[in-house]
Amino acid sequence: MSAFFLSLHRRSFQSKINLGLALIIICFGLLLGAINYAVSSRAVLREALMRGEMLSMNLSARSTESILSMNFLRLTNLVTEIVDRDDRNDLVYAFILDRHGQVLAHTFRDGFPVALLHVNPVEDHQPFGMRFLDTGRERLYDFAAPVMVGSTRVGTVRLALSHTTIKAAIDRLMWINLAATIGATFLALFVGSLFARTVTRRINALRHSAEQVVKGNLDVQISPAPDRNCWEIMNCTEQRCPAHEDRLRRCWYVAGTFCPDCSAGNFPDKLDDCRNCTVYCRNSGDEIQSLAESFDFMALTLKNHIEELRRSEGNLARQKQLLNTILDVTPDMVTLQDVELIYLAVNKAFCRHVGREESEIVGSTDFDIFSDEQADRNYHEDMQILLTRQPLSKEIMTRGSKGKKWHHVVKVPVEENDRVIGLLTTARDITVVKQYQEKLIHSQKMEDLGRLAGGVAHEINTPLSIILGYSQLLLKDFPPDDPVAQDIEIIEKQAQVCRKIVADLLSFSRTTEQAALPMDINASLREVADLVEHIFRQNRIVINLHLDDRIPPVSGDKERLKQVWMNLFNNAADAIGMDGCISVTSKLCAHRRRLVVAVADTGGGVDENDLDKIFEPFFTTKPVDKGTGLGLSVTFGIIKDHGGRISAISPVPSEYMDVSPACTGESGPGTVFFVELPLEGNELPPDECIEIPKKET
Amino acid sequence: MALAGCGDQPTPVKVDMTQREESAAGARQPVITYAYLPQFSHTVSFERHHRLVQYLTETTGLNIQQIFPETFHEHMLMVAQGKIDISYANPFVYALTAEHSEAKVFAKILEPSGEANFGGLIIIRTDNPDIHSLQDVRGKRWIAVDQFSAGGYLFGLGYFIDNDIRPEDFAEIVFAPGPGGKQESVILGVYAGRYDVGTVREGALELLEDKIDMSQIKILAHTPRYPGWSFAARAGLAEEVVRDLKEAMFALDIDDPDHRLILESAAMRGIIPAAPEDFDAVRELVRRAGLE
Repeated sequence: MSAFFLSLHRRSFQSKINLGLALIIICFGLLLGAINYAVSSRAVLREALMRGEMLSMNLSARSTESILSMNFLRLTNLVTEIVDRDDRNDLVYAFILDRHGQVLAHTFRDGFPVALLHVNPVEDHQPFGMRFLDTGRERLYDFAAPVMVGSTRVGTVRLALSHTTIKAAIDRLMWINLAATIGATFLALFVGSLFARTVTRRINALRHSAEQVVKGNLDVQISPAPDRNCWEIMNCTEQRCPAHEDRLRRCWYVAGTFCPDCSAGNFPDKLDDCRNCTVYCRNSGDEIQSLAESFDFMALTLKNHIEELRRSEGNLARQKQLLNTILDVTPDMVTLQDVELIYLAVNKAFCRHVGREESEIVGSTDFDIFSDEQADRNYHEDMQILLTRQPLSKEIMTRGSKGKKWHHVVKVPVEENDRVIGLLTTARDITVVKQYQEKLIHSQKMEDLGRLAGGVAHEINTPLSIILGYSQLLLKDFPPDDPVAQDIEIIEKQAQVCRKIVADLLSFSRTTEQAALPMDINASLREVADLVEHIFRQNRIVINLHLDDRIPPVSGDKERLKQVWMNLFNNAADAIGMDGCISVTSKLCAHRRRLVVAVADTGGGVDENDLDKIFEPFFTTKPVDKGTGLGLSVTFGIIKDHGGRISAISPVPSEYMDVSPACTGESGPGTVFFVELPLEGNELPPDECIEIPKKET
Repeated sequence: MALAGCGDQPTPVKVDMTQREESAAGARQPVITYAYLPQFSHTVSFERHHRLVQYLTETTGLNIQQIFPETFHEHMLMVAQGKIDISYANPFVYALTAEHSEAKVFAKILEPSGEANFGGLIIIRTDNPDIHSLQDVRGKRWIAVDQFSAGGYLFGLGYFIDNDIRPEDFAEIVFAPGPGGKQESVILGVYAGRYDVGTVREGALELLEDKIDMSQIKILAHTPRYPGWSFAARAGLAEEVVRDLKEAMFALDIDDPDHRLILESAAMRGIIPAAPEDFDAVRELVRRAGLE
């Protein structure tokens, strides 16, 4: 049974309608046929019985006179005529009895069956009597009617109808009923099938369109175009009306139509006004057409919505891309957190800073990213901002594997509709700014120190000259081998040292105008190198020159620059001590607006912490009595006076390593000094010189 | 369907149709035949006289059976042939019968009015525009009851002759067709307009009072009255039989409720003795009308 219902369930809608109609029609046909047969067969039987009654009573009336007059011929004619003229052939016999029960006339040809006389007695007061007889050969309806004259009975008439004939008529009626039922069933099936096909064809069109919509094809059109459109019916010439020339939609689906009777609403609100409209009465259809039109309208509306959504999605994607690009290219770290301090968005700079992927950060908190101590500090600070709605701006210094870093952090609460919904944090790397700031302070300090040293030196120079003069006078008073003379020599020598120091101090602090003349940097370098080469060779120190011939003449004080080279060469030789190379390189920087001179040695190098201090006066890494700590300070001042800059890197970068055969031996990390000088003017150009490697940070 | 069609069939009664017999000439009891001149239909005749016949049978002990001749002529013929023992007939038939068959009248009736005589009626349609007086019947179609009818023909004919209207003055003289029921046929023939003039006996109109609109029938004239209906015995009927019958008839009393029913059914008030000479006036009329 379940298989039958499953099979029925899988059949098409048209088959179901056909089957349902067939079942209903057959059931009703059989029921109506049975009822009709029952009613009609009863009617046929009743009509036959009534006919028997009428025939018997008619025969009774017609035979009265003949019975009274004993006219046997007429009586015989009466009974034979009634049987012979029976066009239905259902009258089996007829006979007439007198009042004594004696047979006056009958239709039996081979003798009267006497048993019939007593089977159907009828009383005088009865109009007729009927008995159902079984003769063995057939069944009969026997009718008896008294022949009365007034209240006196003069005889009895009897006749019989054949049950077989009546039953044949009933059977014939049954077959007619059956045939009519079958014919009506087939006719109804045919008509029902046509009807079902008409309905299901439209439903199938709807289903097909629904499938197309599901597949994404929204260009469906199920409802047929009307033969006359609204502007044709209404003779409308209003070209601006949105329904004008719209052949896809009925006008009641279009909002903002110009008809004076149209309301301004959208479908389906405006439909109430359309009920009595001529256009609606003409172009509206049945429920399925309304459904199809609504479906078309829905698909069209959906398509418009989807196109609008796609446009919005494209705009949003472009805006998102733009925002991501802006956030990602900016060197500042930008993060957005919600009120629970969960990261909603971060840019690439922040990802690089914390060393994680964006997908790892978004959705997590500071406790997942930073150390517990840092995260706890951030949490309290951030919650304070969210609660007070006061933005925070601060500079923080961190120490990491890449050294000291400075950041300027700004934290701003994000508000929407007077409610805090998140926290926007930006952190800018200001390490370079901080370094410049420190250098500026340092320069200022050096300048003040130079001025102080100059003043002090100037004051000390006079008594020192007197000491030196008098010591030289005293020296003439004693013989050279006198111990006093030896002591005085010591005084003179130390006074000379002091004089040298004072001279350096004065040189460091000199603010006088220098002799700015065009000069050849390479020539001054060669000149100084030639000067010290013999002395250095004693300690097996080699000077290798790599000079750039393209360097044009620069404006500068030739003597003072020679002192700079001398200081740098001496420093290098001091750093090397014995057995080493000094590599001197000159080259034009990019953009050809400055030159750079690099002096690299193969000495022991300078500690990183000391690199920032080596240009300070009196700072020296040399042993006691080996240096005054003023050489690089003086050099710094001369270079500054030339509008240049001096810096040092240790150890020596690979590109400045001297690869000459004399320097391939074992050597220290070395130090390289870079002197930058502007080619024009008294100030370095703002662009960087890419030839100078940066210090590793 | 079969159940629905045959569900209320009664149980059949078994009948043996094989035992058959032909009609055999059975022994007939001797009967006194009694016939009423068929002026009305057989059923009317039966209804009117079967109580009287039954009374006579019970009173006299005779086996009296009413028979129904089809026509006046047949009645007269059967009387002449001796097939009717007791003939109840109008005076015209009696006069003719007596002449030919020697039947003997022994009783006559009193009309319901109490008179021994009765007359005829000449009737027309009330709306007949051509007949306003008796003389207007000339050239018209006349329907009479029977050529042997007294009230329905003879009395009317005598009345027309007395008024100088001869039978040949009529366009047509027709007698009512068929056996019995002739009085009614005449009235209905005039009522239907097929005939202009009709003649019936007194009291005939009352037979159709509840069947037709009697206001459409107009009595143009009443004929003179003549001796009424009489009982005649055929020649050769035993005297004691006639005597017993006469006694029984004369014993009928209108005041007796049983007798009254018998007498009123027969449309008579009583039966009184009669002699052949009582009907001379009728014989005279027959001669006058040339109907001998």
